[in-house]
Amino acid sequence: MSRELLPVATAARTRAVLLDLIRPYRALALGGFAVMVVATSIGLLTQPLLGAVVDLVAAGEPATAITTPVLALVVVALTQGGTMTLGLALVSRLGETVLARLRERFVGRAMRLPLEQVERAGSGDLTSRVTGDVSLIAEAVRVALPEMARSGLAIVLTLGALAILDWRFLLAALIAVPVQWHTARWYVRTAGPLYARQRVAGGAQQQQLLDTIGGAKTVRAFRLEADHTAKVAERSTTAVDLTMRGVNLVLRFYSRLHVAEYAGLAAVLVAGFLMVRSGAASIGTATAAALYFHSLFAPVNTALVLIDDAQSAGAALARLVGVIDQPEPPALDRPKAPRIEVSGLGHAYDEGRPVLHDVDLTIREGERVALVGASGAGKTTLARLIAGIHRPAAGVIAVPGEVGMVTQDVHVFAGPLADDLRLARPDATDADLREALTRVDALTWAETLPAGLATVVGEGGHRLTATQIQQLALARLILADPPVAVLDEATAEAGSAGARVLEKAIETTVEGRTALIVAHRLTQAAATDRVVVMDGGRIVESGPHDELRSSGGRYASLWEAWSGVRPNSKNPLE
Amino acid sequence: MRAVLWRAISGQRRDVVTGAVLGAVHQAGEVMVPVLIGVVIDQGVAGGDLPALARWLVVLAVVYVVLSFSYRFGARAGERAAERAGHTLRMELVERVLDARGGAEEGRLPGALTNTATEDAKRVGAVNMSVMLAFSALAGIVVAAVVLLRISVPLGLVVLAGTPLLLFLGHLLSKPLEKASEDQQDRAAHASGVAADLIKGLRVLKGIGAETAAVARYRVTSGDSLAATLRAARAEALQTGLVVALTGVFIAVVALVGGRLAASGAITLGELVSAVGLALFLIGPLEVFAWVNAQFAMGRASAARIAEVLAAPHAIAAGTSRAPVPVRGSLRLRAVSHDTLKGVDLEVAPGEVLGVAAVDPADAVSLLSCLGRTADPSSGTVELDGVALADLDPAALREVVLVADHDADLFEGTLRENVGGDHPEALAAAGADEVAGELPGGIDGHVGERGQSLSGGQRQRVALARALAADRAVLVVHDPTTAVDAVTEARIASRLRDVRRDRTTILVTTSPALLAVADRVVLLDGGRVTDAAPHADLVTRNAVYRTAVLA
Repeated sequence: MSRELLPVATAARTRAVLLDLIRPYRALALGGFAVMVVATSIGLLTQPLLGAVVDLVAAGEPATAITTPVLALVVVALTQGGTMTLGLALVSRLGETVLARLRERFVGRAMRLPLEQVERAGSGDLTSRVTGDVSLIAEAVRVALPEMARSGLAIVLTLGALAILDWRFLLAALIAVPVQWHTARWYVRTAGPLYARQRVAGGAQQQQLLDTIGGAKTVRAFRLEADHTAKVAERSTTAVDLTMRGVNLVLRFYSRLHVAEYAGLAAVLVAGFLMVRSGAASIGTATAAALYFHSLFAPVNTALVLIDDAQSAGAALARLVGVIDQPEPPALDRPKAPRIEVSGLGHAYDEGRPVLHDVDLTIREGERVALVGASGAGKTTLARLIAGIHRPAAGVIAVPGEVGMVTQDVHVFAGPLADDLRLARPDATDADLREALTRVDALTWAETLPAGLATVVGEGGHRLTATQIQQLALARLILADPPVAVLDEATAEAGSAGARVLEKAIETTVEGRTALIVAHRLTQAAATDRVVVMDGGRIVESGPHDELRSSGGRYASLWEAWSGVRPNSKNPLE
Repeated sequence: MRAVLWRAISGQRRDVVTGAVLGAVHQAGEVMVPVLIGVVIDQGVAGGDLPALARWLVVLAVVYVVLSFSYRFGARAGERAAERAGHTLRMELVERVLDARGGAEEGRLPGALTNTATEDAKRVGAVNMSVMLAFSALAGIVVAAVVLLRISVPLGLVVLAGTPLLLFLGHLLSKPLEKASEDQQDRAAHASGVAADLIKGLRVLKGIGAETAAVARYRVTSGDSLAATLRAARAEALQTGLVVALTGVFIAVVALVGGRLAASGAITLGELVSAVGLALFLIGPLEVFAWVNAQFAMGRASAARIAEVLAAPHAIAAGTSRAPVPVRGSLRLRAVSHDTLKGVDLEVAPGEVLGVAAVDPADAVSLLSCLGRTADPSSGTVELDGVALADLDPAALREVVLVADHDADLFEGTLRENVGGDHPEALAAAGADEVAGELPGGIDGHVGERGQSLSGGQRQRVALARALAADRAVLVVHDPTTAVDAVTEARIASRLRDVRRDRTTILVTTSPALLAVADRVVLLDGGRVTDAAPHADLVTRNAVYRTAVLA
């Protein structure tokens, strides 16, 4: 199957979706912005008040005269603190709420993507969007958004305040802007690709370590220690080198900003000198201007550094919107029939490489059919087509109703065991859960878990064996209770002892259902009503186990090779 | 723990010292900027003195050049020390984990160990940067203190006492908030964990039509998470607001004291401006101290985790004897008891293909760990060509005896790399040639992280091919075909003897197809060998065997 990554939205589309998400919170957005403007403006009264102190002293006023501006400074500080708290809380509320709606829409949409599309993209694509991209945006909303709001407003309003002192101060301060503008552009251009490489290198190092440490036993058994140590060293060195390149870049960035700082500061001081000399400004005003400019250093640096975060958050957002924007696939429209009727079925994952040819198969209501054949014979494809995961390229499949499927994919949903089971039937009672577990012979171990059915399992929780995990999968199928069950090598991940436990559990799971079981252990095939043998995408034999075993065909020789017992000897199972 | 921290720092002492010295110069430069603003106002602007203005602007330029370059090269040295120390620790950890005597993974999940090798190593390395920054900040405070006290002793004391007090108050007020905020952050992170988990289980969900239930569940989680995040955000906003208010009040106090001093003529106007600037500046280095403290605490915790892994006891003792040369490949177990095994006696002749069928899978696992020497038996001995395994160097032993586990891992890379080069015979015998045919890119196709892009059956066949290709004198394979279809399994069984001709092979399995090709099969039941004969004979004469293998 060729790779085809999930789409990424255009910038325009990303903006549109973002605005759409913000629309219900317009009042909040406007309110937050207004309060931040007020908070920042109040803070800007500090420098003129300090200037007033200087002027009062310069005018030779008595020491008591400065009490008034000092008290004003205290009032400014307290009001600024209060309004800043409110403003930041509002801005965060907006950001976090929109983020929550965004991730909910993403997960809602991702869950309904056709499995085929997800698999074509590779399982990592969707996972990395929901983990990496969502947390990147979350971090930006949590840290960068309030910082940006504060710094951005501080810069704009400080420049405005400089202009109010005298427009010539603003002009002097703007000398720094071309240097900063150029520096920021250069930084973003260079940093973006470098940080992307850093993330790749970090991921590669992490993955190599997981490979080496997770497979340590294998590494030792095959004496691959030197090879693996060298691989880790190489990846770690690459990551270190790239980090150092990033550090150098940031440091050069700051060096250039220092140039801008000096140029602007000198210009403002010279402007102050000229204006004080010509009587256009007081010393206090010149002091306030210099202090204003000095206080710009921190927010300018913050804002410029955040450009990078904002850019990566934007890219992450485009990847989320790309999925959100996927059209809802048309429902799989399959004819209803009292039994499974497959006729003229053909399929190919890649054009020109058919894996199924003209398959006809009927499975009676309540019949249990085993699919047997070599890998690549088309068993899994047939099973998946019947389960409705793929659309057949040719032919028709009629089914009696919903089809449930359990494959060899082992996954336990993180959280209490009972919650995991309830995914299959949200309104199931505890008694229902126990009954389902009993039927797959899992209640005994489930009840001996530290907190019984309330035990947290899955990632970060209590570890279950591959057999136990598959028992849970079967219990979920029982709870979902579909009329048709498809089981694709559901015993494959368990060892040979587990396989036997699972075979028994499968038998009780499919009771009362029409079932198609892809089997690789032939005892499992022997226990079904009918065995269908596939080869090269075609059905080559079909009949009950005993009939096929004595017919001298493919299945018979397969059985002989598998059991290691001559066909004419007594069947050891009897 | 101390040793790990100390090694991390002393190993990079040149960079740390360079960083600290240059960092101190930078801080001194930063102190000079507000001072010089005051001087320019005082001597240039106030007096209308153009040459003085020009002179002091040049001085300001020189200060900028010095502070800029010292920061650049100082920070570079500090970061380099941090990164290099992290790398060194990472490699030490990997070497410990891969030590032939094992034991480091005991009780630790691979994810947790990987985290120690990445995050913990990084944090301990970062202590170098903290040392450098702490030293620079200290220098900044000292320079600022000297300047302030030279301007005016009372004003200097107000600023020097006030700044730490301000930070302490801020810390005191924000501490409960911080705690609350951290708890909330954890809960907030939960939502993204749940989403990833649901996506990972997408196939399972679709298999039972549980998408709607999953989405509904996620909405609840996301809502809870949002509520928690909002509480945290409010706490953070309040913290920021408090710091802003406190800083403003502090500036007002400095202005009051300084203004009065200036009004009485004790200090000049420029000195007043400088003092206000320095008061604002001092917040920076003092905050660095608080930050460094937190970094050190994290570094200590990380160093403790690293030290624990490095000092983990070995699973087995290293023997010193070399393996016998040439190896004949005979094995003998004498009264071996280990975990579930109770006195197993077993002889395997050189070149024999022996089947071992264990009724209880735990017996098979115990036997495998004794044969591969991942553990030594609690009593009894295992001998290779008459030499006790316990006397052998474990690394040398593994060049002779290979135990291929049932769940052996594949590694990221191509199929060829996983098998260890060109081994067409091994590939064909394991049925892995077909895997190469199905893989895009054939034998040079990538198998993905831990072989995840292959199906379970494909992974098993590649793992078996790798075990056969290693061509050890003794090969022990455990359940190599549980995920392989019956047709392919039969083919593998028919080719196995040929590819292992004249070398000892032990098949630990309950697969009848494999046991049928063994010269002899021993039945392990209740921790003991209870029967031994060819497969066909055991099938007819031993009911326990029949149930274990054919039911």
